[in-house]
Amino acid sequence: MDFNLTREQEMLRDMVREFAQRELAPKALALDAKGEFIHDIIKKTAELGLVGIITSKEFGGTGMGHLARMLMIEELSRIYASLGFFFQTGQIGMYAIENFGTPEQKQKYLPALCKADKIISTALTEAGGGSDPSAIQTTAELKGDEYIINGRKVMISEAPVCDLAIIVAKTGDKFSAFIVEKGTPGFTTSGKENYVGLRSLPVGDLVFTNCKVPKANLLGQEGKGLAVAIGGISAVGRTGVAGVALGTAEGAYAAAVKYAKERKLYGKPIAELQAIQYMLVDCNMEIETARWLCYKAAVLLDQGKSPRDAGDDITRCKLYSCDIASKVALRAIQIMGGYGTIPQYEITRRLNDSIELFTAAGTQEIMKNTLARSIIA
Amino acid sequence: MPGDIAVCIKQVPHPDCLAKLSLDAARGTVNREGVPAVINPVDRNAVEASLRLREKLRNRVIALTMGPPAARKALEDALAMGADYAVHLCDRAFAGADTLATARALAGGIRSTGGIALIICGNTTIDSGTGQVAAQLAEMLDFPCVTDIEEIMPEDGASLLVKRAWEQGDIRVRVRLPAVLAVNAKINQPRLPNVLDIMAARQKEIKEWCAADAKVEAGCVGLAGSPTQFWQAGEFHARRQGEILRGSPDEMVAAAVDKLKKLELI
Ligand SMILES: Cc1cc2nc3c(=O)[nH]c(=O)nc-3n(C[C@H](O)[C@H](O)[C@H](O)COP(=O)(O)OP(=O)(O)OC[C@H]3O[C@@H](n4cnc5c(N)ncnc54)[C@H](O)[C@@H]3O)c2cc1C
Ligand SMILES: Cc1cc2nc3c(=O)[nH]c(=O)nc-3n(C[C@H](O)[C@H](O)[C@H](O)COP(=O)(O)OP(=O)(O)OC[C@H]3O[C@@H](n4cnc5c(N)ncnc54)[C@H](O)[C@@H]3O)c2cc1C
Repeated sequence: MDFNLTREQEMLRDMVREFAQRELAPKALALDAKGEFIHDIIKKTAELGLVGIITSKEFGGTGMGHLARMLMIEELSRIYASLGFFFQTGQIGMYAIENFGTPEQKQKYLPALCKADKIISTALTEAGGGSDPSAIQTTAELKGDEYIINGRKVMISEAPVCDLAIIVAKTGDKFSAFIVEKGTPGFTTSGKENYVGLRSLPVGDLVFTNCKVPKANLLGQEGKGLAVAIGGISAVGRTGVAGVALGTAEGAYAAAVKYAKERKLYGKPIAELQAIQYMLVDCNMEIETARWLCYKAAVLLDQGKSPRDAGDDITRCKLYSCDIASKVALRAIQIMGGYGTIPQYEITRRLNDSIELFTAAGTQEIMKNTLARSIIA
Repeated sequence: MPGDIAVCIKQVPHPDCLAKLSLDAARGTVNREGVPAVINPVDRNAVEASLRLREKLRNRVIALTMGPPAARKALEDALAMGADYAVHLCDRAFAGADTLATARALAGGIRSTGGIALIICGNTTIDSGTGQVAAQLAEMLDFPCVTDIEEIMPEDGASLLVKRAWEQGDIRVRVRLPAVLAVNAKINQPRLPNVLDIMAARQKEIKEWCAADAKVEAGCVGLAGSPTQFWQAGEFHARRQGEILRGSPDEMVAAAVDKLKKLELI
């Protein structure tokens, strides 16, 4: 077994690390306080070829793959998780279009998405409960050449700023996926909801009132909408959230190590206190474990495994990484004493960001259900 | 501009890891093992400056380094930034070079490459920082040399106008080609390679040359060709002590003068 990155992956990681140092580190605190969508920074990542990192070159992407994407999300989230999370959600839609779309849909949407000229949301969740697909009450009714969509999606990443959305709606007693463009009559978006973490991620609602969508906007086959959405959410969403969690934990841990070495009590750094060392050891072990679970899931996808075949690994990396991110952040706060709770020390942000990750792309309990099913199957 | 640009880059320990370096006191060398290596920071500015000139002048940019096999990574990074191809001077005979022997090897590399109209170096390295190599290289090739450059303005094909900082102002120098320039970090912000450039870098050529390929005699380079020899190495600890004087301004001045006198500093 070879634990080494390829030279290209190494160069990519270094490049993203430097980008994050240049573009995010000096501004993270201010960006978090402002809580605005960071389209300008996202455009810069697109110029570097990062937005299309799992999209093939044919459609304007760079096609470097899932491990490269994991490294990128890890590095960005280490400094500012909101930007890492953008790739989680944005790339779900891109993956779904590339894997389930018609040639026309791919040509029409993917190049603009790779350039971040357009922003895409992917929407399943409704007010009746995100974990339960039967809570999806949005309907799409075929009338002639058009589907008429009615309903409301809630808690949707990038909803307030999206140019297009992939949504899952009921067609009869089955579910189908559709691409809906901004400006389509009957399609509106809400403002940004106020969430405690991931402050530069605008989350909100998508509202459909007799919204007429051409038949050509059906994504994948009619009645197979859940497969379209879950495939993307699993391969891209769950791995993406896991990468954000990993980076968030690393950021918190790095701050804690630095602080422990600098803060002096009793005439020596607190890093010499065994109680502090044990907390750092726990963080270190958990991060290292999470990292390899994350990398393994990504490598399996790069090897051509389907999201289903790589399912257990994807589930484990999401479940574990999102579990430890908040634990590491809490320990970091503890290590930093009273200073840890001052936002300027940039460690409460890690905790706030980490708690957003429990539910995104499927809750921790849903991950456990999925893994349990596989274990006892 | 008739001819190509050679950009000289040195691989050095990562600036964040300089504290991890240790000294091999017996051999007088720096122990670099386990410390990640990168392109000398200002040499990335040199690469960037070369690429910007290429955009205007349409010549090729050739990255050149002398270093052990691992220095190939530095060349790969330069290729990802956009250099057209690279030359790696890699031979045991080059090991242990002082600045003069380094410049000889680089001059050999430049001559053997042929068609070089401009050589861009960094001003100094972060690991030994003598700032001598560019000037020595120019002397050997009989090219003019300008160092500490903050701006390069292409003129006609035969010369460049360069700006170098000088006290409150700056000096502009018109330099005829071929020439050697050494740039400082103020000249630009080095670009980050994009994903496609990174993936394309491995397709580009890195020529690996031994001393014979660079047409330098083994005795003129490396340790054998180095007039500067290691004599003694040791760790140096600077001790500083602060003391705050209290009292009226007059009292504090008197106390300070008194202390300096006692230390025989005044
Ligand atoms: C930052 C963020 C971004 C998001 N972005 C998107 C997006 O872009 N698109 C989108 O569609 N959705 C998005 N969501 C919504 C997310 O997918 C849902 O929050 C998630 O599916 C859970 O749904 P819920 O919040 O309605 O919780 P519920 O489903 O109501 O769950 C409540 C609790 O019950 C538990 N539970 C539910 N079912 C079971 C079960 N069978 N067994 C055991 N426990 C169970 C859950 O784990 C949870 O603890 C986002 C959420 C967040 C926080
Ligand atoms: C601690 C220490 C002290 C040293 N002191 C001396 C000394 O006093 N006298 C002496 O002769 N040698 C000295 N050396 C050896 C010196 O490091 C080497 O000769 C080295 O190859 C070049 O010197 P430099 O790094 O100072 O280059 P500088 O002159 O500072 O470098 C200027 C530019 O020259 C180019 N360049 C330099 N080296 C290379 C290379 N290998 N390949 C391609 N381009 C390059 C780069 O563009 C660089 O930015 C010392 C080495 C160490 C580790």
